[in-house]
Amino acid sequence: MLQILADGLVIGSIIALGAIGLSMTLSIVRFSNFSHGELLGWGAYLALVASTAFTAFSPAWAAPLGPFSFGWGLLLALLLSCGLTALLALSLDTVLFKRLRKQGSITLVIASFGAALALRNLLLFWQGGIPRYYSENLQIAVALVPRSVGGGLRVTPDQVFVFVLSLVTVTGLHLFLRHSTLGRSMRATALNPALARVTGIDPERILRATWLIGGVLAAVAGVFAGLTVQMRPTMGVDLLLPLFAAVILGGVGSIWGAVLGGFIVGLTESASVTLVGAEYRSAAAFAVLITILMLRPRGLFGERH
Amino acid sequence: MSDAALRVDDLEAGYEPGLPIVRGANLTVQPGEIVAILGPNGAGKSSLVKAVAGLVPITRGRVFVHGRDITRIPAHQMVFEGLAFVPQTENVFINLSVAENLELAASIVKARRQAALDPVYAMFPDLLRQRALPAGQLSGGQRQMLAVARALIAKPRLLILDEPSAGLSPLLVSQVFAKLREVRDTGITVLLVEQNVKSALALADRAAVLVEGRERIVGSSTELLQDERVAALYLGRHTGKQAVGGAG
Repeated sequence: MLQILADGLVIGSIIALGAIGLSMTLSIVRFSNFSHGELLGWGAYLALVASTAFTAFSPAWAAPLGPFSFGWGLLLALLLSCGLTALLALSLDTVLFKRLRKQGSITLVIASFGAALALRNLLLFWQGGIPRYYSENLQIAVALVPRSVGGGLRVTPDQVFVFVLSLVTVTGLHLFLRHSTLGRSMRATALNPALARVTGIDPERILRATWLIGGVLAAVAGVFAGLTVQMRPTMGVDLLLPLFAAVILGGVGSIWGAVLGGFIVGLTESASVTLVGAEYRSAAAFAVLITILMLRPRGLFGERH
Repeated sequence: MSDAALRVDDLEAGYEPGLPIVRGANLTVQPGEIVAILGPNGAGKSSLVKAVAGLVPITRGRVFVHGRDITRIPAHQMVFEGLAFVPQTENVFINLSVAENLELAASIVKARRQAALDPVYAMFPDLLRQRALPAGQLSGGQRQMLAVARALIAKPRLLILDEPSAGLSPLLVSQVFAKLREVRDTGITVLLVEQNVKSALALADRAAVLVEGRERIVGSSTELLQDERVAALYLGRHTGKQAVGGAG
């Protein structure tokens, strides 16, 4: 039981990070971006390439940090990947979505399907289809709770790192949205774009910030997924449905809703893997989604639009 | 160039190309005036002020604010041109607190927070008491006050309001209009769209009646109160003379 909980929270924190960016796109750019999952995949692989380059430059950076499986090389690569994935997201908007914005959200959704296919296949072409890992070092899970208590609990230091850093990232984003002028402007634009404009908020600046922040969060989520599971060029599309489920569960436009939605989806997937089998994981997550939406159609923290 | 606070020349505007709602409207508002735009439903009153504020595309004509051509300036830059706009509905950010609504407006125009907020709180003391409350929890009248206060933060020279009395009780309308008089007394020009003709003419110095997208009657409030066409249109006085064409 405790193991299901811990695994669910780790998966959930990765889903939450991706879902926040997706939720922001939905509420500010106002369309369902089906290429968002690919940003996670690109973020993960960009970090892999950067990490390989860094450790080739300085082998000392490959040395594991304390109990973790990774060294300074991956941490620096994570930062670089955040910047590059943010630029990729912004470029996608500039080259594709910005030109189609006046055509309406249906056109944008279809365009995002195309963008997702292009990005996924480019990644496959560039990196091949074989699963990849950041480190070949084997990590031993540490027993935190004996088997006799709630079935026991074993976690790897990397899993703890992913969970804690996800919470730190979400808290940082929350403070940014709550207290900075840009963050408040983004919240205002999500709620009422016309009023935001007459208040003096530049909508293009808000859109740029949304893409950049969404790209950064996608990169972090992608690297965390690669760190705790593995990397495949299809990891983006595999994570896409759980991301959407988390956004809808939590309520579009709500950061903490996306986090809670991510944890619910993560816990449901984790429980279903243990209780009914891995093949029913998505079905279980969507059963929970449908049940909650029947009770709260706007999601758990949905804001009025 | 004009010295008028607002000059609208032959303005045509609408959401769809080829389907203008505002059709060749002309309007002049002098500094320090309160001017009301009246007219039947669908006359294009709201579209006219939204076009001036940059929210409805302009297809012909020019708009000048204090002599400066703002026709092509996007809506989000209007506050920097001295023009503040208060929409009819959804005119506060309901997910932000009262203070956050005002602070956001101040930070966008890069005003020092305290220097910008103090005069507004002095004019609207209720907002100071309710500053921690989410704007979504305010009553209709309080929201309207917050919307006006939010617009005043940018220290506009021209304040445009789209139906500030909409959905308010007569008592609240009189309170809001009293505040608008106070606003004018600080030197700010006020232009408002109104359905509430009697209250609007009691507040405004001048008014323009818009029909089918352009002004048909313009005059002082006293003149319009006596105008038989306005009486026939709005005040329920049947004079036997024909009202302005196209109304209703």
